[in-house]
Amino acid sequence: MSALQQYAILLGLAIGAIGVAASLYAFSRAVGSTLAEPGKNVPAASGRLCREPAWARYHAHYLGYALLFLAFDMEMAYMYPWAVVFKEEGLVALLDMGVFLAILFLGLLYGWSQGALRRH
Amino acid sequence: MSVLIIVLGLLAGAYAVALLEDRLTRGSFAPAAPLLAAAALLARESIVTRKPDRLLFETAPVLLLIAALLAAAVLPLSPTLIVADLATGGLFINAALAYVLVALLMAGWGPDGAYAMVGGWRFLGQVIAYSMLIVMPITAVAIRAESLLTTAIVGSQEGWWNMFYQPLGFLLFFIASLAVCFLPPFDRPSAEGELAAGVEAEYTGARLAILRLGRMVLVVSLAAATSVFFLGGWLGPWLPPWVWSALKVLAVAALMLLAGYYLPRVREEHLLAWCWKLGIPLALLNIFIVGVMVLAGL
Repeated sequence: MSALQQYAILLGLAIGAIGVAASLYAFSRAVGSTLAEPGKNVPAASGRLCREPAWARYHAHYLGYALLFLAFDMEMAYMYPWAVVFKEEGLVALLDMGVFLAILFLGLLYGWSQGALRRH
Repeated sequence: MSVLIIVLGLLAGAYAVALLEDRLTRGSFAPAAPLLAAAALLARESIVTRKPDRLLFETAPVLLLIAALLAAAVLPLSPTLIVADLATGGLFINAALAYVLVALLMAGWGPDGAYAMVGGWRFLGQVIAYSMLIVMPITAVAIRAESLLTTAIVGSQEGWWNMFYQPLGFLLFFIASLAVCFLPPFDRPSAEGELAAGVEAEYTGARLAILRLGRMVLVVSLAAATSVFFLGGWLGPWLPPWVWSALKVLAVAALMLLAGYYLPRVREEHLLAWCWKLGIPLALLNIFIVGVMVLAGL
Protein backbone atom coordinates (compact mmCIF):
# COMPACT_ATOMS: atom_id res chain seq x y z
CA MET A 1 0.00 0.00 0.00
CA SER A 2 1.36 3.41 -0.93
CA ALA A 3 1.72 6.10 1.69
CA LEU A 4 -1.02 8.11 0.00
CA GLN A 5 -3.49 5.25 0.29
CA GLN A 6 -2.60 4.83 3.96
CA TYR A 7 -3.26 8.49 4.65
CA ALA A 8 -6.55 8.16 2.75
CA ILE A 9 -7.53 5.32 5.09
CA LEU A 10 -6.62 7.44 8.13
CA LEU A 11 -8.69 10.32 6.74
CA GLY A 12 -11.56 7.88 6.22
CA LEU A 13 -11.22 6.76 9.83
CA ALA A 14 -11.47 10.36 11.04
CA ILE A 15 -14.50 11.03 8.83
CA GLY A 16 -16.07 7.78 10.03
CA ALA A 17 -15.64 8.91 13.64
CA ILE A 18 -17.39 12.18 12.82
CA GLY A 19 -20.17 10.15 11.19
CA VAL A 20 -20.57 7.94 14.26
CA ALA A 21 -20.75 10.99 16.53
CA ALA A 22 -23.27 12.70 14.23
CA SER A 23 -25.48 9.63 14.10
CA LEU A 24 -25.37 9.26 17.88
CA TYR A 25 -26.37 12.91 18.25
CA ALA A 26 -29.19 12.35 15.77
CA PHE A 27 -30.34 9.27 17.66
CA SER A 28 -30.23 11.18 20.93
CA ARG A 29 -32.30 13.96 19.41
CA ALA A 30 -34.81 11.46 18.04
CA VAL A 31 -35.28 9.93 21.49
CA GLY A 32 -36.16 13.25 23.07
CA SER A 33 -35.35 16.91 22.64
CA THR A 34 -33.80 19.29 25.16
CA LEU A 35 -36.34 21.49 26.90
CA ALA A 36 -35.49 25.18 27.13
CA GLU A 37 -35.94 25.98 30.80
CA PRO A 38 -34.57 29.04 32.60
CA GLY A 39 -31.31 28.65 34.49
CA LYS A 40 -30.51 25.30 32.98
CA ASN A 41 -27.75 26.56 30.75
CA VAL A 42 -25.76 28.35 33.45
CA PRO A 43 -22.23 26.91 33.72
CA ALA A 44 -21.48 24.91 36.85
CA ALA A 45 -19.99 27.08 39.57
CA SER A 46 -21.14 25.52 42.85
CA GLY A 47 -24.29 27.60 43.09
CA ARG A 48 -22.78 30.99 42.30
CA LEU A 49 -22.59 32.67 38.94
CA CYS A 50 -19.10 32.61 37.52
CA ARG A 51 -17.71 35.75 35.94
CA GLU A 52 -18.52 36.19 32.35
CA PRO A 53 -16.91 35.44 30.03
CA ALA A 54 -14.77 32.84 31.74
CA TRP A 55 -12.07 33.42 29.13
CA ALA A 56 -10.13 35.63 31.50
CA ARG A 57 -6.43 36.20 31.40
CA TYR A 58 -4.94 33.20 33.09
CA HIS A 59 -1.67 33.34 34.93
CA ALA A 60 0.35 30.50 33.41
CA HIS A 61 2.45 29.61 36.43
CA TYR A 62 4.52 27.32 34.26
CA LEU A 63 5.85 29.92 31.83
CA GLY A 64 9.48 29.01 32.54
CA TYR A 65 8.81 25.40 31.68
CA ALA A 66 6.85 26.45 28.62
CA LEU A 67 9.81 28.33 27.15
CA LEU A 68 12.17 25.40 27.76
CA PHE A 69 9.52 23.11 26.29
CA LEU A 70 9.68 25.02 23.00
CA ALA A 71 13.43 24.43 22.75
CA PHE A 72 13.11 20.73 23.56
CA ASP A 73 10.15 20.21 21.24
CA MET A 74 12.08 21.67 18.31
CA GLU A 75 15.03 19.45 19.13
CA MET A 76 12.86 16.33 19.05
CA ALA A 77 12.00 17.02 15.42
CA TYR A 78 15.68 16.35 14.66
CA MET A 79 15.90 13.32 16.91
CA TYR A 80 13.59 11.07 14.91
CA PRO A 81 15.49 11.00 11.58
CA TRP A 82 18.71 10.74 13.59
CA ALA A 83 17.37 7.75 15.53
CA VAL A 84 16.52 5.88 12.32
CA VAL A 85 20.03 6.16 10.83
CA PHE A 86 21.81 5.91 14.18
CA LYS A 87 23.14 2.38 13.76
CA GLU A 88 24.34 2.98 10.20
CA GLU A 89 26.25 6.10 11.16
CA GLY A 90 27.70 4.52 14.27
CA LEU A 91 29.83 6.41 16.75
CA VAL A 92 29.74 9.63 14.69
CA ALA A 93 25.99 9.83 15.15
CA LEU A 94 26.30 9.35 18.90
CA LEU A 95 28.93 12.08 19.16
CA ASP A 96 27.08 14.51 16.87
CA MET A 97 23.84 14.24 18.75
CA GLY A 98 25.71 13.97 22.06
CA VAL A 99 27.20 17.43 21.57
CA PHE A 100 23.82 18.83 20.52
CA LEU A 101 22.05 17.25 23.48
CA ALA A 102 24.80 18.31 25.88
CA ILE A 103 24.33 21.95 24.85
CA LEU A 104 20.58 21.63 25.22
CA PHE A 105 20.97 19.94 28.58
CA LEU A 106 23.28 22.73 29.74
CA GLY A 107 20.50 25.09 28.70
CA LEU A 108 18.12 23.15 30.94
CA LEU A 109 20.57 23.36 33.83
CA TYR A 110 21.06 27.10 33.20
CA GLY A 111 17.31 27.60 33.15
CA TRP A 112 17.04 25.67 36.38
CA SER A 113 19.77 27.77 38.02
CA GLN A 114 17.95 30.95 36.94
CA GLY A 115 14.71 29.78 38.53
CA ALA A 116 12.82 28.79 35.37
CA LEU A 117 11.81 25.44 36.85
CA ARG A 118 9.48 26.66 39.54
CA ARG A 119 5.97 27.96 39.95
CA HIS A 120 5.98 31.64 39.09
CA MET B 1 -11.16 -5.56 6.80
CA SER B 2 -8.37 -4.95 9.27
CA VAL B 3 -9.83 -1.49 9.88
CA LEU B 4 -13.08 -3.08 11.04
CA ILE B 5 -11.33 -5.63 13.26
CA ILE B 6 -9.16 -2.98 14.89
CA VAL B 7 -12.08 -0.61 15.49
CA LEU B 8 -14.10 -3.43 17.03
CA GLY B 9 -11.08 -4.45 19.10
CA LEU B 10 -10.71 -0.88 20.33
CA LEU B 11 -14.37 -0.76 21.31
CA ALA B 12 -14.08 -4.08 23.13
CA GLY B 13 -10.98 -2.79 24.91
CA ALA B 14 -12.77 0.44 25.82
CA TYR B 15 -15.61 -1.65 27.24
CA ALA B 16 -13.18 -3.66 29.34
CA VAL B 17 -11.53 -0.45 30.58
CA ALA B 18 -14.93 0.98 31.50
CA LEU B 19 -15.78 -2.18 33.44
CA LEU B 20 -12.48 -2.12 35.27
CA GLU B 21 -12.77 1.58 36.07
CA ASP B 22 -16.25 0.93 37.45
CA ARG B 23 -14.90 -1.88 39.60
CA LEU B 24 -12.05 0.24 40.96
CA THR B 25 -13.96 3.47 41.58
CA ARG B 26 -17.31 2.14 42.74
CA GLY B 27 -16.47 -1.39 43.84
CA SER B 28 -19.33 -2.78 41.80
CA PHE B 29 -19.05 -5.26 38.97
CA ALA B 30 -22.00 -5.20 36.59
CA PRO B 31 -21.13 -6.46 33.10
CA ALA B 32 -23.88 -4.40 31.44
CA ALA B 33 -23.15 -1.18 33.34
CA PRO B 34 -21.24 0.66 30.56
CA LEU B 35 -23.96 -0.15 28.02
CA LEU B 36 -26.68 1.05 30.37
CA ALA B 37 -24.72 4.19 31.20
CA ALA B 38 -24.25 4.93 27.49
CA ALA B 39 -27.93 4.37 26.79
CA ALA B 40 -28.84 6.65 29.69
CA LEU B 41 -26.50 9.38 28.42
CA LEU B 42 -27.99 9.18 24.93
CA ALA B 43 -31.50 9.48 26.31
CA ARG B 44 -30.69 12.50 28.46
CA GLU B 45 -30.82 16.14 27.50
CA SER B 46 -27.68 17.51 25.92
CA ILE B 47 -27.48 21.06 27.23
CA VAL B 48 -25.42 23.82 25.66
CA THR B 49 -24.23 26.53 28.04
CA ARG B 50 -25.60 30.01 27.55
CA LYS B 51 -22.80 31.81 25.73
CA PRO B 52 -20.51 29.10 24.41
CA ASP B 53 -17.89 29.18 21.73
CA ARG B 54 -20.07 26.76 19.81
CA LEU B 55 -17.45 25.58 17.32
CA LEU B 56 -14.94 24.56 20.00
CA PHE B 57 -17.68 23.16 22.24
CA GLU B 58 -18.92 20.81 19.50
CA THR B 59 -15.48 19.93 18.15
CA ALA B 60 -13.84 18.87 21.41
CA PRO B 61 -15.53 15.48 22.10
CA VAL B 62 -15.28 14.36 18.47
CA LEU B 63 -11.67 15.51 18.19
CA LEU B 64 -10.70 13.55 21.31
CA LEU B 65 -12.23 10.43 19.78
CA ILE B 66 -10.48 11.02 16.45
CA ALA B 67 -7.11 11.61 18.13
CA ALA B 68 -7.43 8.36 20.08
CA LEU B 69 -8.49 6.43 16.96
CA LEU B 70 -5.65 7.81 14.83
CA ALA B 71 -3.10 6.99 17.55
CA ALA B 72 -4.35 3.40 17.56
CA ALA B 73 -4.43 3.23 13.74
CA VAL B 74 -0.64 3.00 13.39
CA LEU B 75 -0.27 0.28 16.05
CA PRO B 76 -0.21 -3.37 14.90
CA LEU B 77 -2.14 -6.18 16.55
CA SER B 78 -0.32 -8.76 14.44
CA PRO B 79 2.16 -8.50 11.51
CA THR B 80 -0.69 -7.83 9.08
CA LEU B 81 -3.43 -6.59 11.37
CA ILE B 82 -2.82 -2.85 11.24
CA VAL B 83 -4.82 0.01 9.78
CA ALA B 84 -1.91 1.95 8.29
CA ASP B 85 1.70 0.76 8.59
CA LEU B 86 3.13 4.23 8.00
CA ALA B 87 6.86 4.63 7.44
CA THR B 88 6.62 7.41 10.03
CA GLY B 89 4.43 5.48 12.48
CA GLY B 90 6.47 6.38 15.56
CA LEU B 91 6.17 10.06 14.69
CA PHE B 92 2.54 9.88 13.64
CA ILE B 93 1.43 8.63 17.03
CA ASN B 94 3.03 11.69 18.62
CA ALA B 95 1.17 13.92 16.20
CA ALA B 96 -2.11 12.16 17.00
CA LEU B 97 -1.55 12.45 20.76
CA ALA B 98 -0.81 16.17 20.38
CA TYR B 99 -4.45 16.61 19.41
CA VAL B 100 -5.53 15.32 22.82
CA LEU B 101 -4.27 18.63 24.17
CA VAL B 102 -6.17 20.56 21.50
CA ALA B 103 -9.37 18.65 22.23
CA LEU B 104 -9.17 19.16 25.99
CA LEU B 105 -8.30 22.83 25.70
CA MET B 106 -11.31 23.22 23.38
CA ALA B 107 -13.49 21.36 25.91
CA GLY B 108 -12.25 23.77 28.56
CA TRP B 109 -12.63 26.94 26.49
CA GLY B 110 -15.80 26.12 24.57
CA PRO B 111 -18.52 26.13 27.24
CA ASP B 112 -17.43 29.44 28.80
CA GLY B 113 -17.56 28.06 32.34
CA ALA B 114 -14.92 28.80 34.94
CA TYR B 115 -14.50 25.22 36.12
CA ALA B 116 -14.08 23.82 32.63
CA MET B 117 -11.59 26.54 31.77
CA VAL B 118 -9.46 25.81 34.83
CA GLY B 119 -9.48 22.12 33.86
CA GLY B 120 -8.32 22.97 30.36
CA TRP B 121 -5.43 25.15 31.57
CA ARG B 122 -4.40 22.43 34.00
CA PHE B 123 -4.15 19.97 31.16
CA LEU B 124 -1.97 22.41 29.22
CA GLY B 125 0.43 22.49 32.18
CA GLN B 126 0.34 18.73 32.29
CA VAL B 127 1.19 18.49 28.58
CA ILE B 128 4.31 20.61 29.02
CA ALA B 129 5.32 18.15 31.73
CA TYR B 130 4.65 14.80 30.09
CA SER B 131 5.12 15.28 26.36
CA MET B 132 8.94 14.99 26.39
CA LEU B 133 8.54 11.71 28.27
CA ILE B 134 6.38 10.39 25.42
CA VAL B 135 8.71 11.58 22.68
CA MET B 136 12.12 10.68 24.12
CA PRO B 137 11.44 7.01 25.03
CA ILE B 138 10.00 6.48 21.51
CA THR B 139 13.25 7.91 20.11
CA ALA B 140 15.24 5.35 22.07
CA VAL B 141 12.92 2.61 20.78
CA ALA B 142 13.46 3.83 17.21
CA ILE B 143 17.25 3.78 17.71
CA ARG B 144 17.08 0.07 18.47
CA ALA B 145 14.63 -0.72 15.67
CA GLU B 146 16.42 1.55 13.11
CA SER B 147 12.97 2.42 11.88
CA LEU B 148 9.82 4.28 12.73
CA LEU B 149 7.62 1.52 11.27
CA THR B 150 5.70 0.19 14.24
CA THR B 151 5.86 -3.32 12.80
CA ALA B 152 9.66 -3.06 12.58
CA ILE B 153 9.73 -1.80 16.16
CA VAL B 154 7.94 -4.95 17.33
CA GLY B 155 10.26 -7.06 15.15
CA SER B 156 13.31 -5.51 16.81
CA GLN B 157 12.20 -6.93 20.18
CA GLU B 158 12.60 -10.59 19.20
CA GLY B 159 15.42 -11.16 21.68
CA TRP B 160 14.68 -8.86 24.58
CA TRP B 161 11.48 -6.91 24.93
CA ASN B 162 12.22 -3.19 25.24
CA MET B 163 10.74 -3.36 28.72
CA PHE B 164 13.90 -5.24 29.76
CA TYR B 165 16.27 -3.70 27.19
CA GLN B 166 15.41 -0.15 28.28
CA PRO B 167 13.49 -0.35 31.55
CA LEU B 168 14.04 3.36 32.22
CA GLY B 169 12.28 4.33 29.01
CA PHE B 170 9.43 1.95 29.79
CA LEU B 171 8.87 3.43 33.22
CA LEU B 172 8.92 7.03 31.94
CA PHE B 173 6.62 6.22 29.03
CA PHE B 174 4.20 4.45 31.33
CA ILE B 175 3.98 7.41 33.69
CA ALA B 176 3.59 9.82 30.77
CA SER B 177 0.85 7.67 29.25
CA LEU B 178 -1.12 7.95 32.50
CA ALA B 179 -0.83 11.72 32.19
CA VAL B 180 -1.98 11.72 28.53
CA CYS B 181 -5.21 9.93 29.45
CA PHE B 182 -5.59 12.17 32.54
CA LEU B 183 -6.05 9.01 34.59
CA PRO B 184 -6.16 9.20 38.39
CA PRO B 185 -2.76 10.19 39.67
CA PHE B 186 -2.91 12.97 37.07
CA ASP B 187 -6.67 13.46 36.76
CA ARG B 188 -6.79 17.05 37.94
CA PRO B 189 -7.95 18.37 34.52
CA SER B 190 -11.16 16.41 35.09
CA ALA B 191 -11.11 16.63 38.87
CA GLU B 192 -14.48 15.21 39.86
CA GLY B 193 -14.37 16.15 43.51
CA GLU B 194 -13.24 19.68 43.02
CA LEU B 195 -14.11 21.18 39.63
CA ALA B 196 -17.36 19.27 39.03
CA ALA B 197 -15.40 17.14 36.53
CA GLY B 198 -13.36 20.01 35.03
CA VAL B 199 -13.21 19.68 31.25
CA GLU B 200 -16.23 17.39 31.34
CA ALA B 201 -18.21 19.74 33.60
CA GLU B 202 -20.43 21.36 30.99
CA TYR B 203 -20.97 18.32 28.80
CA THR B 204 -24.19 16.39 29.15
CA GLY B 205 -26.08 13.72 27.26
CA ALA B 206 -24.81 12.53 23.89
CA ARG B 207 -21.83 14.91 23.86
CA LEU B 208 -20.65 13.54 27.20
CA ALA B 209 -21.09 10.01 25.85
CA ILE B 210 -18.72 10.80 22.96
CA LEU B 211 -16.25 12.54 25.31
CA ARG B 212 -16.18 9.54 27.66
CA LEU B 213 -15.91 7.11 24.76
CA GLY B 214 -12.99 9.13 23.41
CA ARG B 215 -11.22 8.94 26.75
CA MET B 216 -11.74 5.17 27.07
CA VAL B 217 -10.44 4.61 23.53
CA LEU B 218 -7.49 6.86 24.42
CA VAL B 219 -6.64 4.63 27.38
CA VAL B 220 -6.72 1.58 25.11
CA SER B 221 -4.60 3.37 22.49
CA LEU B 222 -1.96 4.27 25.04
CA ALA B 223 -1.99 0.74 26.43
CA ALA B 224 -1.54 -0.55 22.87
CA ALA B 225 1.33 1.91 22.32
CA THR B 226 3.06 0.71 25.50
CA SER B 227 2.56 -2.87 24.39
CA VAL B 228 3.95 -2.23 20.89
CA PHE B 229 6.89 -0.07 21.92
CA PHE B 230 7.95 -1.89 25.09
CA LEU B 231 6.24 -5.25 25.56
CA GLY B 232 7.01 -6.78 22.18
CA GLY B 233 3.53 -6.33 20.71
CA TRP B 234 2.38 -9.59 19.19
CA LEU B 235 5.54 -11.56 20.12
CA GLY B 236 5.05 -14.57 22.37
CA PRO B 237 5.06 -18.35 22.27
CA TRP B 238 2.20 -20.82 21.51
CA LEU B 239 -0.73 -18.46 21.18
CA PRO B 240 -1.56 -16.68 17.90
CA PRO B 241 -0.12 -13.14 17.57
CA TRP B 242 -3.38 -11.22 17.97
CA VAL B 243 -4.14 -13.03 21.22
CA TRP B 244 -0.79 -11.95 22.63
CA SER B 245 -1.45 -8.37 21.54
CA ALA B 246 -4.90 -8.37 23.12
CA LEU B 247 -3.59 -9.87 26.36
CA LYS B 248 -0.76 -7.35 26.62
CA VAL B 249 -2.98 -4.39 25.84
CA LEU B 250 -5.50 -5.44 28.49
CA ALA B 251 -2.75 -6.11 31.02
CA VAL B 252 -1.22 -2.67 30.47
CA ALA B 253 -4.63 -0.98 30.65
CA ALA B 254 -5.34 -2.78 33.93
CA LEU B 255 -1.94 -1.72 35.25
CA MET B 256 -2.63 1.90 34.28
CA LEU B 257 -5.94 1.92 36.15
CA LEU B 258 -4.46 0.09 39.16
CA ALA B 259 -1.59 2.58 39.36
CA GLY B 260 -4.16 5.34 39.65
CA TYR B 261 -5.98 3.41 42.33
CA TYR B 262 -2.94 3.13 44.57
CA LEU B 263 -1.02 6.36 43.91
CA PRO B 264 -1.83 9.76 45.42
CA ARG B 265 -2.88 12.57 43.08
CA VAL B 266 -0.13 14.79 41.68
CA ARG B 267 -0.71 18.47 41.05
CA GLU B 268 0.41 19.64 37.63
CA GLU B 269 3.03 22.01 39.05
CA HIS B 270 4.58 19.12 40.98
CA LEU B 271 4.36 16.96 37.88
CA LEU B 272 6.14 19.73 35.94
CA ALA B 273 8.91 19.88 38.52
CA TRP B 274 9.37 16.11 38.65
CA CYS B 275 9.29 15.69 34.88
CA TRP B 276 11.75 18.48 34.09
CA LYS B 277 14.17 18.03 36.97
CA LEU B 278 14.24 14.24 37.02
CA GLY B 279 12.25 12.78 34.12
CA ILE B 280 13.92 14.55 31.20
CA PRO B 281 17.50 14.00 32.42
CA LEU B 282 16.61 10.32 32.89
CA ALA B 283 15.04 10.16 29.41
CA LEU B 284 18.19 11.66 27.87
CA LEU B 285 20.28 9.20 29.87
CA ASN B 286 18.07 6.42 28.51
CA ILE B 287 18.72 7.55 24.92
CA PHE B 288 22.46 7.62 25.61
CA ILE B 289 22.49 4.17 27.26
CA VAL B 290 20.46 2.64 24.42
CA GLY B 291 22.76 4.31 21.89
CA VAL B 292 25.85 2.81 23.52
CA MET B 293 24.18 -0.61 23.81
CA VAL B 294 23.17 -0.58 20.15
CA LEU B 295 26.69 0.42 19.08
CA ALA B 296 28.14 -2.28 21.30
CA GLY B 297 25.98 -4.76 19.40
CA LEU B 298 23.85 -5.84 22.35
